[in-house]
Amino acid sequence: MSSEKALSIVVPLYNEEANVRLLYDRIRAACERYGDAFEVLFVDDGSSDGTVPILKQIRQQDPRVRIVKFRKNYGQTAAMAAGFEHARGHNIVSMDGDLQNDPADIPTLLAKLDEGYDVVCGWRKKRKDKFLTRRLPSIVANWIIGRMTGVRIHDNGCSLKAFRGAVIKSVTLYSEMHRFIPAMSTLAGARIAEVVVNHHPRQFGESKYGLNRVWKVALDIVQIKMITGFAVRPALWFGLLSVPATLLGLVALVIAGSQYLAGSAEGWVISSTVAMLLLFLGAHLLSLGIIGELAVNTGDYRPQRPVLPTIRELQNPDGDPRDEKHECHGTDEATR
Amino acid sequence: MATQEMKSMSAMEQMKPHAEEPVQPVEEPASAVELSVVIPIAERYDDLGQIHAQHSAELRHLGLSHEFIFVVDGSMKSALGQLEPLKREHPEIQLLAMNRTFGEATALSVGLERARGRRILTLPAYFQVEPAELRHMMEQAADSDLAIAWRYPRVDSVLNRIQTWFFHRITRLLTGTKYHDIACGMRVMDRKVAREVHLYGDLHRFFPLLAYQRGFRVTEVQVRQSRHDAGRRIYSLGIYLRRMLDILTLFFLFKFTKKPLRFFGLVGSALLASGGAISLYLGLYRLFGAGAIGNRPLLILGVLLIVLGLQLFSIGLLGEIIIFTHARNAKDYEVQEIE
Repeated sequence: MSSEKALSIVVPLYNEEANVRLLYDRIRAACERYGDAFEVLFVDDGSSDGTVPILKQIRQQDPRVRIVKFRKNYGQTAAMAAGFEHARGHNIVSMDGDLQNDPADIPTLLAKLDEGYDVVCGWRKKRKDKFLTRRLPSIVANWIIGRMTGVRIHDNGCSLKAFRGAVIKSVTLYSEMHRFIPAMSTLAGARIAEVVVNHHPRQFGESKYGLNRVWKVALDIVQIKMITGFAVRPALWFGLLSVPATLLGLVALVIAGSQYLAGSAEGWVISSTVAMLLLFLGAHLLSLGIIGELAVNTGDYRPQRPVLPTIRELQNPDGDPRDEKHECHGTDEATR
Repeated sequence: MATQEMKSMSAMEQMKPHAEEPVQPVEEPASAVELSVVIPIAERYDDLGQIHAQHSAELRHLGLSHEFIFVVDGSMKSALGQLEPLKREHPEIQLLAMNRTFGEATALSVGLERARGRRILTLPAYFQVEPAELRHMMEQAADSDLAIAWRYPRVDSVLNRIQTWFFHRITRLLTGTKYHDIACGMRVMDRKVAREVHLYGDLHRFFPLLAYQRGFRVTEVQVRQSRHDAGRRIYSLGIYLRRMLDILTLFFLFKFTKKPLRFFGLVGSALLASGGAISLYLGLYRLFGAGAIGNRPLLILGVLLIVLGLQLFSIGLLGEIIIFTHARNAKDYEVQEIE
């Protein structure tokens, strides 16, 4: 991948007219050492206030600033995905547009990236938000995400992250996956680290989140778990789900048989009902797995892979064999 | 256009579109006309000669260069009987007929593909709006991507109004939009709207919503309803059922396209929980010897709810897999400009 810039800063903005100029000044102060080798990519997520005119003023003064303007509001994940797509940097940093992240942390993140990681996540260790409605749910969610996906970092929700450009560009992001970027990037084999970053209380504007998203996030975690674990082999996942149903069904069937022989009229009705329904469920899940396999195999992306692995060419023939993450065979083998 | 077979027959051009695969639009031709007028002709139509005469008179009055495109959905003898003399009189009219009935949405999209104008005006094949309102409509449409006619005040029967009110009530509730008359066929759009909004099935009715979802600016223009539109309309039960299913489809497209598990997971876990509660109750009932449960339909209900809940949940998971495998090609967002 040819990169024109060393560094791209991606900032999604939605109605942040009060913050955007200050934010730009701070980013510039933090990144001035890169000179012309960095760019700031503001993604306007359909703002209805003065955000875009201010951005255009900034761009006139500083051609390193680029603007991607959405037709309407599509949400933070879409804005991030668009930013990553249009970023030209070898490394990419993403951050919030509400000044709660501190651009001064960018060099720290990049230094960590240079230690040989693909994704470096910010960790707002001293978060400046309300405990009960923001921080507690976040602690619980991060713990569950860590358990479920195996990516044990403290703060999935922090937008301040640094990426190796080629890696994050290969990660498919949609729906509301911005909370799960680290987990999704493990699909590509990313090496993940985290560093402690500053966090400021909100100065201007209003927070756009509340507590009403608990159930959505819970379902999203299930979704991420399935995609990261099984998207390329759905038959296995559904097969695994179907095993307990089928086994329990068989047990119930045996019980039903024995009750029938023992002459227990009512017990036989109960256990055979349960047995039939469990066996049906097992068959249903198994066939869904087969349909899933069909979907994966006939997807539009057929010439590509569903997951793009990150590949390193090894220079040293005596290197640790574990360094060899993926070999490129030109087939889907590497991902299966 | 490899999938299309075109034969010229007398004054007609016969087309055979594939309803399943959207035909790729032809490369952008140098636009000579300012406005293309597309009129799909399906079940209901008035005197088509009158439709053409009155609207083209209005457009001439506005000084707009325009072209008329009629698309007949299937071989409708009487509609063709009206259009063939019209074509003889005005050879510049484009007259397309599909070989069988594909539905109004397909007729409309075929017409939109043929349109060469910078902007496109779609009209219903019958008088919904007073043709004189066209001028007002074109003025108001100037600074939006899509302008839709809003027949207000209504002059048609109370029954029609109740139906319309009910239809819009549900649509607004399920999609979170605020339009008053989405089904009116008079719409003025920029050609990029016609290129990007894909129509199939019965979705032509929801064209404004689909355009809105793609991020286009949609405005409503209040116009006088035609008195020819006043007749009472009662449809068969099947039509109402189909309309409800259409709204449901749209609801999914709006809210859950990229997150099927959000919907199926929610419904599935609610059913699972109620099934679990019923089964638990029955289990305790029997364990503590309060009586037999083998003859109670509640047992079957409880177990069935559990199974249905798990099935819905797993269908949601399957949906997620399908979305994931296609997400790389189907973008979530539309970029207006990049600087």
